[in-house]
Amino acid sequence: MSIEPFNRLVKLAARAFYDDITKGDNPSKNTRSDNRGIAVVVLDALTRRQWVREEDLAKDLKLQTKQLRRTLRFFEQEKLIAVDHRKETAKSAKIYNSAFNDNNNYYVHSANGNGNGSSINNGGNGMGDDKVKMHTHSYCCLDYAQIHDVVRYRLHRMRKYLRDQLDDKNKIQEYLCSDCGKKYNALDVSRLISMEDMNFHCERCNAELVAEMDNAGEGAGEGDDNARKRSREKYNDMLNRMEVQLKPLVEQLNRVKDLAVPELGSLQAWEARALAAARAANGGSGGDPRANQGFGTRMPFVGEPKIEVAISGVDDTGGSIAAQNGNEPIKVLPPWMIKQGMKLTKEQLGELKEEPMDGSLDPLGSSDDKKKAVTEPEDSKHVQEEFMKAYYAAYIKREQETTVAASDAHLSSTERLVGEKSKRGDNDDGEDVEWEEEAPVDENTSGNFKVDLNVEAGVSEEEDEDDIDWEEG
Amino acid sequence: MFFHIILERNMQLHPRHFGRDLRDKLVAKLMKDVEGTCSGRHGFVVAITGIESVGKGLIRDGTGFVTFPVKYQCVVFRPFKGEILEAVVTMVNKMGFFAEAGPVQIFVSNHLIPDDMEFQSGDVPNYTTSDGSVKIQKESEVRLKIIGTRIDATEIFCIGTIKDDFLGVISDPGATS
Ligand SMILES: [Zn+2]
Repeated sequence: MSIEPFNRLVKLAARAFYDDITKGDNPSKNTRSDNRGIAVVVLDALTRRQWVREEDLAKDLKLQTKQLRRTLRFFEQEKLIAVDHRKETAKSAKIYNSAFNDNNNYYVHSANGNGNGSSINNGGNGMGDDKVKMHTHSYCCLDYAQIHDVVRYRLHRMRKYLRDQLDDKNKIQEYLCSDCGKKYNALDVSRLISMEDMNFHCERCNAELVAEMDNAGEGAGEGDDNARKRSREKYNDMLNRMEVQLKPLVEQLNRVKDLAVPELGSLQAWEARALAAARAANGGSGGDPRANQGFGTRMPFVGEPKIEVAISGVDDTGGSIAAQNGNEPIKVLPPWMIKQGMKLTKEQLGELKEEPMDGSLDPLGSSDDKKKAVTEPEDSKHVQEEFMKAYYAAYIKREQETTVAASDAHLSSTERLVGEKSKRGDNDDGEDVEWEEEAPVDENTSGNFKVDLNVEAGVSEEEDEDDIDWEEG
Repeated sequence: MFFHIILERNMQLHPRHFGRDLRDKLVAKLMKDVEGTCSGRHGFVVAITGIESVGKGLIRDGTGFVTFPVKYQCVVFRPFKGEILEAVVTMVNKMGFFAEAGPVQIFVSNHLIPDDMEFQSGDVPNYTTSDGSVKIQKESEVRLKIIGTRIDATEIFCIGTIKDDFLGVISDPGATS
């Protein structure tokens, strides 16, 4: 599926049809913002992008969002672009930015262990925060299949119009009385018809009418004929010029005719694909130094329920473990995982730690670490929902046991964590990690145990509650 | 094109109808007066579908007739330029042919008939292709496009074309029989 010929088609069409378009209902009023040519610029920019948020595009093009939006609305009406609107939190928008501005579709977001104030706050506020700051964002991309059709249809209409004019196709036939010279047209004939011979007769002299021919140069109305001839010449000329000027476009259309049309799909589908691609890329670059530096990969939300997946590396503190992680190839997240993850993240505020995913989703705060550490080895083996049930069962059981020895466990948790396949809750810093996968690194392992900021107090009872919430979510 | 619209009309009713059935009489008279008529503005009134309201009657001086303002729902048919219609051919002559789509009369002049169709005079004048495969004569059904309308206060007359894609004969009684 080559996109290049279609991009060329878009560019040619843009120059052919949208070069002198001025958007806005009252172009005369805002003379100072002459946006002729903007249409071409915008279309060209879209050929270099896929789904893009309007604000980002505006920024890239150094246009005002309003102006760009007007142009995009126009293109939407022209059926050149597909548009999608979505409600997002300010945070997710930020993530989208960091993710999609990267050309490689390799979404890197620094989710360092130290964390910054904002992420901590987000963690603390929980889902309430999500709800509060919802903004509707618009995304757009070229709709190649439709563009192909639209351009062809437009050419067809142009040609047809000119040819019809040349053929006098919709001309209303005129009739002439050969005796008195009175003229009639086809709209009058209902009362001109004679029942005797079924032909048209003059109202005045009852002579039979004759149809006035186009090329009947002689007779009445020479001025008309000249005018008609001129208009014929005009249309003929226009037709010829059109064929010449639009030749590149037509040729490109022919070239593209049998090619598979690039299909970006809906915004969600596209994002999901980008997500997978990013993961794959991430896996391939497991040894990427960035991984060691505590970079994480973030993916934009998929769909309404939000998913944020971030790979958080290890802080400075957990350096050795981070290295370990970095070397581990990251598995591609199976689709079902994403769904579950969404729910979880929603509950939790959406910060996830992504690393190799094992099927264990642990949104829990780090305060629960010890418990998790205990249960996690089991988790990682489970898959899908079965896993969830089993996990909960085991977890609750565990909880009961552990609550008793909570304080002790706390201290000992770090040791347990070390080397464990999956650890959750390494959010020492209240970092973004919500979702840990297989071998998440715990900062705890490094010996710095910190209370998760998500949890207000490190009390064991509270932890329990948190866990329960999570399960329900 | 058909429209379902509400129209209003002042109905004059003779005093002999005043009684229990006044309303029925009023409606019956309305149907008789209105259905099948044509107004330049709304087109042909095809059928009355319901009475919206009947206002207070006003007795007219001297006659005893009472005028009721009646609002009624009705289906109207109004042809538009560019509209595609299916019509039955009613008459063919060398200038073209006439066809009817319900109450609307349409004339298709011979230069708006495809060039490969020639006029054949005779008992049954018709337009026929050179190979005889397509024939337009009385009772033929054609699909045509309206390219002009003349709307008078009481009459609508259209001219149409069959010289375009997908237009022309849609069934030919001569061919089937
Ligand atoms: Zn005359």
